[in-house]
Amino acid sequence: MELSQKDPLQSHFNIDPETREELSSIFHNAIEAVILVDRNGKIQLWNPKANEIFGWHKEEVIGRPFHELILPERFQQEYLQITEKFININNFININNTYLETWGLHKKGFEFNISLGISPTKFKNIFYFICYISDITSRKLIATQLDRQKEFYENILNKLPTDIAVFDANHKYLFVNPGAISIEEFRKYIIGKDDYEYAKYRNRDISTADKRRAQFLEVKNTGKEIRWEDSLADPKGETITHLRRMFPVHDEKGVLTMVIGFGIDITDRKIMEVKQALLVEQLSAQNIQLIDFCNIVSHNLRAPLVNMSMLVELIEKTKDAQKQKEYISKLKPVIDNLHVTFNELVESIQIKQDLEIKSEHINLNNCLQRTLNGLDSEIIKSGAVFNADFDEVSSIYFPPKYMYSIFHNLLSNSLKYQSPKRKLIVNLKAIKYNNKVLLSINDNGLGIDMVKHKDSFFKIGKVFHRHPNAKGFGLYMTKTQIDAMNSKIWVESTPDLGSTFFIEFSNQKS
Amino acid sequence: MSNVKNIFLVDDDPTFIFLTKEIISTTNIETIIEEFSDGQEAIEYLKKNFDNNELLPDIIFLDLHMQIMDGWEFIEEYILLESKIQKKIILYIVSSSISPHDIERAKQLKVIKDFIIKPLEAHKFLEIVNSLSDVYQTE
Repeated sequence: MELSQKDPLQSHFNIDPETREELSSIFHNAIEAVILVDRNGKIQLWNPKANEIFGWHKEEVIGRPFHELILPERFQQEYLQITEKFININNFININNTYLETWGLHKKGFEFNISLGISPTKFKNIFYFICYISDITSRKLIATQLDRQKEFYENILNKLPTDIAVFDANHKYLFVNPGAISIEEFRKYIIGKDDYEYAKYRNRDISTADKRRAQFLEVKNTGKEIRWEDSLADPKGETITHLRRMFPVHDEKGVLTMVIGFGIDITDRKIMEVKQALLVEQLSAQNIQLIDFCNIVSHNLRAPLVNMSMLVELIEKTKDAQKQKEYISKLKPVIDNLHVTFNELVESIQIKQDLEIKSEHINLNNCLQRTLNGLDSEIIKSGAVFNADFDEVSSIYFPPKYMYSIFHNLLSNSLKYQSPKRKLIVNLKAIKYNNKVLLSINDNGLGIDMVKHKDSFFKIGKVFHRHPNAKGFGLYMTKTQIDAMNSKIWVESTPDLGSTFFIEFSNQKS
Repeated sequence: MSNVKNIFLVDDDPTFIFLTKEIISTTNIETIIEEFSDGQEAIEYLKKNFDNNELLPDIIFLDLHMQIMDGWEFIEEYILLESKIQKKIILYIVSSSISPHDIERAKQLKVIKDFIIKPLEAHKFLEIVNSLSDVYQTE
């Protein structure tokens, strides 16, 4: 494009034609709007790019005030302040150009983002401003989008319910999210540092740093992900468990660029696992009980029935009247046995089913006295001594029927299995802790080999000594009754020294 | 003439022992029957006489549910003792249990020849005695 005759480049400045042509070319083809403004703020030059950006043709703008024409009113003051400063300075050599991002005003009246560079200059001792302007609408748009993206990802990283830490190849922190370090000050401190510096900063033991360093080196050296579980006590003293992973990130050449570590709180899962394990344990215990029960039903009821059918068959076959009489006389004890067994089994089924049984406060001294009265003749015969210490706990909250049954079973066992070498002494004591009561019944009787009978102790049909009245039902009943009330029974015993039964009664209302 | 001379009945139910002896006597097979009221009595007898073939049984009929030492505990102890015993002893479980759990458990044990559900009937007893006699004849 030819410069017009009115072109100030020609009229104002006496420049040789060659230089003028070069300048003219730069001026016309610049990718920015280039606008020359005189010290009064009037536009002197206006290149084609300026035309493109602002919509004004140069004929329309030459001589008009720059700021009024292309800046929205609210930014005009700022521009004037800047130019004011420049005007008051005479030496421009060390003056930096001023660059600002602001808003431009199009001929059509809309505003858009521009970058505005202002540099003061002098031509032939006359003061000018050169203004370079770019339309940065698209750049602004991209920047806004980038900002939004950054915000989006940071939001995710910061709000993930996991803790994340990123390390460089030397185990220095590149990033931690608030899940890992909640306090911003510490989070900022740790960047560029390692666990040892952080431990020192926080006055912490370096053992954790040692552990983390070892884990980091393992990942770095093997190039493989590692996983582990961390359990820590939180300030409330509850155990918090994290599942942690650390894995390496390599570049395309296989060089380690960073290591990412993250942890997820799996406390709830852990609690569930513990609960499940407990449940499985309870269920398998119940299953074993059921199998025992099944066996005992199968055995204890079938045994007398088999005997009866054998007897009947023999009675039918034999022709010997004397034999027949003998067989018939054997029937009665078999039937009695069936009766007793049947009643016992019904009784134990009732305990399992009687979930609604009512507890009461039972006075321990009364309960003991009543039990001893029932065992009167055996006690007199053996001269046994019973010592009771119910000072700390005088009553227990339990179904009375079960309580009397438990006392009767345990004390009659002590009497039944007393040592012939010494007089029987039984000590009873009840103590209280939390909302539980522990009742102990200790004797100096025959004792039981606990190693041998550990698993079968409270099983139905189990007896440990040859005794005419040993049927192996008492302890099974006792255990069933105690289990049904969510309480516990266990025993400590040494052969020939004696036994101590412990019963822990739960849910004791004070 | 049967080769079965000595039979052990290990059972805590005296009625059952009495009846089984009655049934065996109806088969007219002459045997000596030793009674034990639980596993411990039987194992102690075996331990004491492990080297005396005359006193050792040809067959043991073993109950499972017994007091003091039950059938399973007896088997455990018997396995430990077995290598010391020269005589060939055949072990049968004779139980009123019909629990598949018990039957399966017995099957797992090589030392147990069979699981007989009570009662031990005359024809079953004859079958056992005959099968043992056959074995001895072919040897």
